Amino acid sequence: MIVCSDLAFRSVAIPDLCIPSGHTCVIGPNGSGKSTLLSLFAGIETPEQGRICIDETTPRKTDVGWVGEFPEDNLIFRTVHDEIASALRFRHLPHEELEPRVEQALRDIDRVDLKNARCKELSGGEKALVALAAAIAVRPKVLVLDEIDSHLDRATAEHVQRILPSFSCAHILQSTQNMDTASHADHLIYLEEGKVRHFGSPEDIFSDLEDTQFYPTLWRFASCISHLKR
Amino acid sequence: MHLALEEVILSRKNWSLSAHATFCEGIHLITGRVGSGKSTLAQAIAGLTEPSSGKIVLHGIHRHTLSMQFPEYHTTGHLVRDEIRSWGLEPGKICMEAGLMGREYERSFALSRGELKRLHMSCILAGTRDLLILDEPFSTLDPEWKHRMCRKILSHHPPVTLIFTHEQAVLPRVDYLWELREGSLHALGPVPEAIPSWQGAPRYIEEVLKCGVVPDNITIEDTEEALCRMHD
Repeated sequence: MIVCSDLAFRSVAIPDLCIPSGHTCVIGPNGSGKSTLLSLFAGIETPEQGRICIDETTPRKTDVGWVGEFPEDNLIFRTVHDEIASALRFRHLPHEELEPRVEQALRDIDRVDLKNARCKELSGGEKALVALAAAIAVRPKVLVLDEIDSHLDRATAEHVQRILPSFSCAHILQSTQNMDTASHADHLIYLEEGKVRHFGSPEDIFSDLEDTQFYPTLWRFASCISHLKR
Repeated sequence: MHLALEEVILSRKNWSLSAHATFCEGIHLITGRVGSGKSTLAQAIAGLTEPSSGKIVLHGIHRHTLSMQFPEYHTTGHLVRDEIRSWGLEPGKICMEAGLMGREYERSFALSRGELKRLHMSCILAGTRDLLILDEPFSTLDPEWKHRMCRKILSHHPPVTLIFTHEQAVLPRVDYLWELREGSLHALGPVPEAIPSWQGAPRYIEEVLKCGVVPDNITIEDTEEALCRMHD
């Protein structure tokens, strides 16, 4: 359980919020505080007021995998191999365990071909994928993804969404501007001007947003499509 | 007025892309997988990089520009006001266009990434050009703004407009579809005829194609209308 109590940081103000374990998508208009909230969950920022508890400890004492919204900022090493291995080296993983974990992470993102590529030669989407591989290689308890799908084509984005449950993270916190992606989450947070306007299941949240552009396109078309398929 | 790619090869270590194509007047949508070369081709057309071989020829095109995928690459002004002025534009008008009224004195990098994208796109669409190359113009915009940006592109676009994107949720009405795959640029043709052969189509289009419905264009509204027609 993630518990926010009297939380305040920049524009974000959340008096009280409990997020059960599972996959939670954070949605909302540009500038509503999604990235700020995710950086608090990841422990990159600390609250000016109040606190966040992740299963009764603080984000900075929790093993967190983080993929930020700026692909350039996610990578610091020369090669893809070193980038993914660095997360494991920082945790003093024995050398014999390191290579299999790097290989597995590359297999997970379905891009073994990138192993020896130089990070600066990658496309924006490839940088986001490598950042994801580095994040999942350490098998974090919490995985935080800030609009990773905005850098990915449809097939790759769908692959990422498919593999996320296999990492057995207690919490996956993901922001997205694709509401069809958000509709598959366990829980949704709809942020507006730094405040939680809605929190609940996708069915509950989107029923409140049915008359807005935030309603998932595939849900809008679902009844027509199923009628035609019959 | 048109753009010609004559036997163009773009290459780097273990990777290459070939393109032989003519982009006539209209809106062209170019899609492709991650790493297929969308940004690389966009930059080459804009003249930022040289092809390994072949020629990129601008016929009757005198003014052109590229909007890069990441808005922070374009940002030079410390304040929002300075950033807008750096484009030779009037801050009040652009702030209103970008939904940033009253925020002229904020730091450009204090904006959220989506807000920065709105600012950048409003600046780029305010100019007059013959060729506009947009690399992921919808990325990081919320659904409301993606729709608005589609309308803005439709009403402000120059004669030749190229949109490189993997956007899946909201797309504008376009004239021609292209796809980057297996290391080549493929012309799918004019819309709507090209839609059934579009391998990277968004899920909402793929679902209606499975029902035997071909929308008039690739927008959500066109797709919904085609579905309603069949349903009736």
